[in-house]
Parts: sequence; structure tokens; C-alpha cells
Amino acid sequence: MPGKSSAERQALEAQNARIMRVFEGAGFDHIAPDILQPADIFLERSGEDIRANSYVFTDPEGREMCLRPDLTVPACRYHLTHAAKPDSEARYCYCGPAFRFAPDQRAPSEFGQAGIEWLAASDAEGSEAQVLALTIAAVRAAGLERYRVRLGDLQLFHALLDGLEMPKRWRRRLVHHFWRPQAFRETLDRFAAREEQSRTSISGHVDAVMGRDAGAARSWVEGELDRRKIPLNGGRSTAEIAARLAEKAADRSAHPLAPEAVNAINAYLAIEGDPVAVLKDLKAVAKGEAYAQALDQFRRRIEAMTALGLTPQDFSFAATFGRNLEYYTGFVFQIEAQVRQGALQVAGGGRYDDLLSDIGSPVPVSAVGCAIGTEKLLLAAGAHV
Amino acid sequence: MTRLILGMPSKGRLMEATEALFGKAGLGLARSGSDRLYRGRLSGIEGIDVAFLSASEIAGALKDGKIDLGVTGEDLLRETLKPDDERVDVLQHLGFGPADVVVAVPEAWFDVARMSDLDEVSEGFYQRHGRRLRVATKYLNLTRRFFASKGVTGYRIVESLGATEGAPAAGTAEAIVDITTTGATLAANHLKILDDGVILKSQAVLAMQAKLKGDQRVAALRAGLSRALAKP
Repeated sequence: MPGKSSAERQALEAQNARIMRVFEGAGFDHIAPDILQPADIFLERSGEDIRANSYVFTDPEGREMCLRPDLTVPACRYHLTHAAKPDSEARYCYCGPAFRFAPDQRAPSEFGQAGIEWLAASDAEGSEAQVLALTIAAVRAAGLERYRVRLGDLQLFHALLDGLEMPKRWRRRLVHHFWRPQAFRETLDRFAAREEQSRTSISGHVDAVMGRDAGAARSWVEGELDRRKIPLNGGRSTAEIAARLAEKAADRSAHPLAPEAVNAINAYLAIEGDPVAVLKDLKAVAKGEAYAQALDQFRRRIEAMTALGLTPQDFSFAATFGRNLEYYTGFVFQIEAQVRQGALQVAGGGRYDDLLSDIGSPVPVSAVGCAIGTEKLLLAAGAHV
Repeated sequence: MTRLILGMPSKGRLMEATEALFGKAGLGLARSGSDRLYRGRLSGIEGIDVAFLSASEIAGALKDGKIDLGVTGEDLLRETLKPDDERVDVLQHLGFGPADVVVAVPEAWFDVARMSDLDEVSEGFYQRHGRRLRVATKYLNLTRRFFASKGVTGYRIVESLGATEGAPAAGTAEAIVDITTTGATLAANHLKILDDGVILKSQAVLAMQAKLKGDQRVAALRAGLSRALAKP
């Protein structure tokens, strides 16, 4: 229904005030990022799937603007324009509307988000645990009693792949397809079986660069373009094109992915359970320095949660759990309320270390944060009061 | 009985081919008043009014239920309707206006043959070039749906309302989704169609509101057109 009644508005405002008291009380600076944002950051940073759900328009001077589809990017932009240095530690909290087009009208296109962003924290695992603790404290302050906390760790998966022997390009493909179980499975099967790949319209080009080094592959590409009078349209350099051709050529002679590697990946992806209990399984699936290090971080994070009074053994970890938002790079979490219709996600968050560089920071800035959907929370908290 | 409204293309080759086919079926299109008016009557079947509209307006008017029947391109119909929309049905493929909606990339991209290649290229594009790989098209929905079905996410659409095939050469996009009949325009612009890049094989169609199934006028129109299509 359009609009909120006086009572609905008051209930939402009262809830949000309770949430913000939790965040402010923990020392987070309550900022108000702009609702109107330059569109380019969202357009270039996000994929078309996010852009397709954003309200984009042109201002009277012809600049492309958008209504913010979330508050994380606006908060990070705020930081880059206000902080003394991009990598100065900062802790922000915010509460306000965000806008996403919902084609089927099953979700509101205007909704409230309350959240925190902790930038350049000195203690990575400690800040992650604290963001989770604050998110839980905030939803509890709003009156939510029955909920489930789900955890994931993208860094662990990356580290696992880093430790397995395979061409770099394969690793990239597997990471890329992580979110799409079927595509992931097919890619893995292809790397494992090394079945003869079917010929495509460029197989002849791959043949031509077989056995050539990068420089020679590039010369071949340039020679072909020249001979066939093809202009170099499309913004990619001949070096870039040649490098991918050479990778494809190298792929042909690469050994199939070892059964042990496939088993390690499968065993890893099957792991789920309470994060304390799964430690043993996580430890068993792979060795390798990067993986051991990521696992160490995982353990320290659990310890930090316990130290903050949380009970991580009540949470559920799944190796395949993550959020299909491109921001996240490591720890991820989600809080689901148990409502009559099933599970309703009311909050989510995690680590997103690449975002600030992507939106213009000259130096890397680590970041961890959360966002709570305020209307959903009100609905869920009210459902069992 | 309320008169039905049939949307007919108001210009171009689609209009000529449609009028020729209707003529063959013994159905005349009488424009009321002068040719400049956009209303008319169908002669040969009682109870059908004609509204002359552009092909894309016809697709939109079918979606919104403003017209009962309409001749338009399948590409425009699929672009306009949601995939699960059951309110509009294709009554008859009309056998003309064949065109494929395709994904094409610069011919110079020797390393790209399939959508999975485009996916790989788009993945590193932002890091390498500081922007997303851009796809110029007027088919926003068809493109989004097709790319999603192929698992390609790291791109952005640049809306193009004409001369889409020139976008890569002009530097306003890297790839395009456009309609092609012979491929000659693509080739002239140094573009190639991806091996698995045919989104839709389109032709002109007569579409209608699904609820009109069983209407005698619709049945008569269909029978007339089928006969005309069967004639040599």
C-alpha cells in the first residue's frame, strides 16, 4: 500500500531510533549520505543486473544521476570526500531510504536501510566480529527474538583454490562461477575431464598462436589485423587479445585438474554446520599456506565473536554461503528472521576490501559493514511480539 | 459486440508487406478520411477497426491491452512483454521481415567466439579499463535476459536508438545486440556474431490478446491469412 499511516511511521521511527542508539553508542558517527548520487559509480561498479534495478535519470545539465540503490557506496563516497586521508580509520552509521526498481512489484521499490561501515580497521577479525555483534544487538533492540545467523567466508574459498595446482585462468573461472552452482559444476567437470573441446570460430586463431610466446602472439594478431584490414575497434589492445589467445592455446596442453584437487573442492563446498564444529572439517580438506592463513583468520574471528559474548556455535556456516553482491571479498553474514511464511532476510553484511579503490581511493582501504532492512525488520519483529 | 482494434504498421517495409499479405487474403485496409488519418477499417471481416501505429507502439499497445490484435516484429514483442506474460499470444507467423537479434563483437577480437569468452573478457574489463564493458542496444530486456541466462553479469547496457552497429567504431560501446538479416551491415562495420550469440530468430507476427481465443472474427482473420500464406 502506498505511504505509511501515522502509526506505521511512528513505529518505524521508534524502531530505527533504537537501532541507531546501538550504533551510536558503539562510537559510530551518524552521517547522512546524499540520496541523489552521480550514476557513474553505480553504473561502472555494478553489473547490469544491479543497474537494471536502479532509478537512473538525467539532471537539467545532462549529468546522469541516480537514486541510491543502497547506502554503502554513498557512505564510502562520503568518507573519500571528508576523511583526512582515504585510509584514516572511520566508523560510520546511517539510516535512510534506498531505491530499487522491483519489476514484479513483489518488493517495495523504496525501502529503509540502517547500517554501519567500518573503514580501515586495525584489527580485521575483531572488527568483523564486532560488526556482526552490533547487527545482532540492533535487531534485538528492535524486538527481534527468533532469528538465524548464517555465515560464509569468500576468502577461504579463494585461498583453497590458490593452493591447488591449475592454470591461473582456470582459477579465475572457478572463482567467477562460484555463485552459480550449475555453471561452477560444469566448469569444474570440464577442467577435470579435459574432454576434447569442440571447435569454435576462433579455433584457427588458437592454432596459429600455439607455441608462440606473448610477443610473437601479439605480432601474429597485429599481422592478421593488418592483412585483413580489420580496425582495432572495441577498446582492447592487441596485447590483451593476444594474451587471451595464448592462454587458450596453453589450456589445450594443460594437464587435467588432478582428482585430489577436484575432491578437495567438492569436500570444501559440502561443508556446513556450526562454525566451531566445522573447523575440523575445514582443516582436513586442504593444506597450503594461503589456506592455512585464511583458516587462521576464520578461527580468530570465531574467538573474537565469543569474546564479545556471542555464541557462534548457534550460528550456521556454509562453504557455499555468500551474497551475490559483487562487493564482498571475505567474511559474509546474513540474519534471517523466522516468520510464518518462512525465513525473511532482515540484515546482511561482510567485508568488502575492493570497493573504496573501485570508487576512486588511491590506496587500498579495508572495509566491513552491515545493512538492515528496516521495514522488513519491523514486519518480522512485530510478527511474534 | 464491441469492435476489435487491429494495430497495423504505419510505415516502412513492414507496412508494405503487411498490406500486400492482407490484400492477398482479400482483406482491404480502408483508411477513414485521408491517408493522414491513423484510423481505418478492415474490409472483408465485419467488426474490426484498424489503428495505424509504429511497430514498437503496436507491441506496447498489445502489452497494455489498448489494442486487441496487432502486426509487429517478434523481436519487439519479446522485448516488450515479460517472458511469463500469458495475456498476449502469437496468432500467426507472417513469413516476412525475417531478422535475427544477435550479439556481435569487434571482428578484431580474435580471442572471442562464444558468450563464455565475452563473460571472461567482461570480468577483467573494469580492472583493466576503469569501466564496464558496454553493450549498445535498443533491446534492453532481451539483452538482460539472454546475458543472464548465459551467466554474463559484468557489463552495462548503453541504450542506442539508431545506428547501433556503429557504436564500437565510434567508441561508445564494445559490443552490440542488434537485429540483422544478412549480416552485411555487421560485416561492413567489422563486427562478428558470436557462435552462440543468436538471441532470437524473429519475423513479423500477428499477435492478439489471449482472451480473444475463440472469437469468430479472429478465427476468420487467421483463416484468411493462412490461405494467403499458402498461396504461391
